[in-house]
Amino acid sequence: MDLLSNLALGFGVASSLQNLMFCLIGVLLGTLIGVLPGIGATATIAMLLPITFQLEPVSSLIMLAGIYYGAQYGGSTTAILINMPGESSSAVTAIDGYQMARQGRAGTALAVAALGSFFAGSVATFLVAIFAPPLTAIALKFGAAEYFSLMVMGLVMSVALAHGSVLKALAMVVLGLLLGMVGTDVYTGAPRFTMGMTQFADGLNFVAVAVGVFGIAEILRNLEDEHDRQVMTKNITRLFPSRDEFRQMVGPVLRGTAVGSVLGILPGGGAILAAFASYTVEKKLSKHPEEFGKGALAGVAGPESANNAGAQTSFIPLLTLGIPANPVMALMIGAMIIQGIVPGPNVVSEQPQLFWGIIASMWIGNLMLVVLNLPLIGLWVKLLTVPYFVLFPIIMAMCSIGVYSVNSNPYDLFAVAFFGLLGYVMSKLRCEPAPLLLGFVLGPLLEENLRRAMILSRGDPTTFVTRPISAGLLVLSLAVLVLVFLPQIRKRRDEVFTESDA
Amino acid sequence: MITRRILLGTALALSLAGTAAAEYPDRSITLVIPFAAGGSTDVVGRIVAERMSQELGQQVVVQNVGGAGGSLGAQQVAQAEPDGYTILMGTVATHALNPLILKQKPYDPVADFAPVSLLVLVPNVLAVNPELPVNTVQELIDLAKKEPLAYASSGNGTPLHLSGELFKAMAGVQIDHIPYKGSGPALTDVLGNQVPIIFDNLPSASGHISSGKLRALGVTTAQRAPSFPDVPAISETLPGYETYSWNALFAPAGTPPEAIEALAAAAKATMADPAVAGRMAEFSATIVASTPAELAEHVKAEMAKWEPVVRDANVTME
Repeated sequence: MDLLSNLALGFGVASSLQNLMFCLIGVLLGTLIGVLPGIGATATIAMLLPITFQLEPVSSLIMLAGIYYGAQYGGSTTAILINMPGESSSAVTAIDGYQMARQGRAGTALAVAALGSFFAGSVATFLVAIFAPPLTAIALKFGAAEYFSLMVMGLVMSVALAHGSVLKALAMVVLGLLLGMVGTDVYTGAPRFTMGMTQFADGLNFVAVAVGVFGIAEILRNLEDEHDRQVMTKNITRLFPSRDEFRQMVGPVLRGTAVGSVLGILPGGGAILAAFASYTVEKKLSKHPEEFGKGALAGVAGPESANNAGAQTSFIPLLTLGIPANPVMALMIGAMIIQGIVPGPNVVSEQPQLFWGIIASMWIGNLMLVVLNLPLIGLWVKLLTVPYFVLFPIIMAMCSIGVYSVNSNPYDLFAVAFFGLLGYVMSKLRCEPAPLLLGFVLGPLLEENLRRAMILSRGDPTTFVTRPISAGLLVLSLAVLVLVFLPQIRKRRDEVFTESDA
Repeated sequence: MITRRILLGTALALSLAGTAAAEYPDRSITLVIPFAAGGSTDVVGRIVAERMSQELGQQVVVQNVGGAGGSLGAQQVAQAEPDGYTILMGTVATHALNPLILKQKPYDPVADFAPVSLLVLVPNVLAVNPELPVNTVQELIDLAKKEPLAYASSGNGTPLHLSGELFKAMAGVQIDHIPYKGSGPALTDVLGNQVPIIFDNLPSASGHISSGKLRALGVTTAQRAPSFPDVPAISETLPGYETYSWNALFAPAGTPPEAIEALAAAAKATMADPAVAGRMAEFSATIVASTPAELAEHVKAEMAKWEPVVRDANVTME
């Protein structure tokens, strides 16, 4: 079988001493920057690009890929421990992961995240190896109308993220959508809500908004009541999940892997949706949906598996088509061009040792990550015992450096400060940041694709229902909507006078 | 760790080279790339910065200042200290199109900059999805006269958008413009036949053209591109049609002439290096390595060429 000989070739390349070492350097660096709040894979890879000049093409790409999926692992660590998601996909992990940490189950949450990620990463790598070409064909079937419908589905799902008032969640989604409008209109070039500052011409920086509403707001909130933290560290009884908890995580991990693998191949927003979608699925399927938002194990296991699976499968369009699915992949393309490799469909046939070497290294890298991360859990949890007056200034400094390093734009730092305050006010009003973030990410994509689809159909709105994939997604959104609201309506009828806002 | 060893090695080599260099430069130089990392300007910039570091005996540090179609980075350099230690990788966007398109001018492309060297010209290409039943530029023009078509570009007001607008004006056809956020998503939709036509940079489309996933109808340069001798120039069908992207080094106005000369000499030596030339050829870029005076003329000529196109296409931004 071709696959076996290809995989053998790949593992041959990836397990050379040099490549193993670059893989290790990559995942180590990735874990490190993932753990440091605010510093993302994009900035790190951009900074390391010049160094890759000196390396073999395979080695440099193996290292850069390692940084990328290593950061996915590490990013969940800060999301769980200090409620500070470094990557958009770990925003979901923060919801229940941080609650688990507050209950003294930080070790369990970290272990579940690491094991779920490892499983998802392994499966997704295997999928990349077998199905890369056919999966690419599916991704190409997604035009503007399909993306619009996919984003609609994402927004519908965002309501399920709320564990309090649905009305407040909707308000947050809408606020997120509005924030997402800041910047230059793609179609007319008109600046919107930029207040005349060219620095906001490309919109608000995602990392700035996320760090602000999650992290800074959390720090401000923590400064109010110190005793909260003592609970966090005192209650730690064990670091690893119990047998029962292992059983609980099997289903969510399997489903998260499936959702993540599928959505990860879609360029633009697919990987972000994966984590949100998985959370929605788990909450719907759970026998105890009321636990979600208060430290549900499935709320960590599912989305973590989904985002790692998505991170791996987002290599598919890159490797088979030379198309970047996200900014990190765009950098990888730059790295390939610097090495004199023309990204495109020819890479698989002309550079088999490169293509299969990277795939094999992804599996090896995932193994390294789980081996590295499990023993580190104890160390990360110890971080929680670091006193506030030491930890918080460090976090703030790291965040500022990280946010600034993306674009060297000082206005991004003003945005962090502003959204920190906004996030604090929101937490006082018991509004949740996750739906806001989803609205912020999906809003621009929704609008861009809606308008593109309308231009392409020459103003005919039926394009959304006459194209089968788009119609299917819309029907699915409708189904989710009904599923979400039916119990809500029924509950309202039962307990009209009870305030469900907790 | 290997990375550290390489860094140390590079640092050592640099300090050795440094003793041989003249007074300028005596510290590292920042090369501002006004686009995000990974794009074609970034790739050209990084290859050039690497080699120029050796020529100048000081590290040329790349800083990506993306945003507002290159205007933010260009503005930053225009306002930087004119000491030769901050330079810009300018493009047709920063030094011809944006100043013409933007209603509020953040900088003056001529008065605010001291030209250093025009490094490379990069052809653009007009390509279609193979399912579109046209094989030549003429067939595309004929089809566009019969039925509504659309073309994708990397964004509103980009060189590729205006290449498309110039094409429409010269061919006398109407084709809808579908702007994307960058070349990658635009290519994706053309490969998936969501949009049939694209104007793209030749380097970014070249892999898809050689694999047959895209059918190149014509390159936008006056002559055919050496890397694709079989693809005709659009000007063979529409005489006088010529657009291309270009990359050039600029310093802030008022930079000392010695620094400009040193930079221009380093740029010339860099582009003459066979390794760099090889990279650029793979990239379908044509090496120019001009003098500062030639770059000044080039900017004026480009402004004059694009002014009517921008006006007729009615492209403006605030």
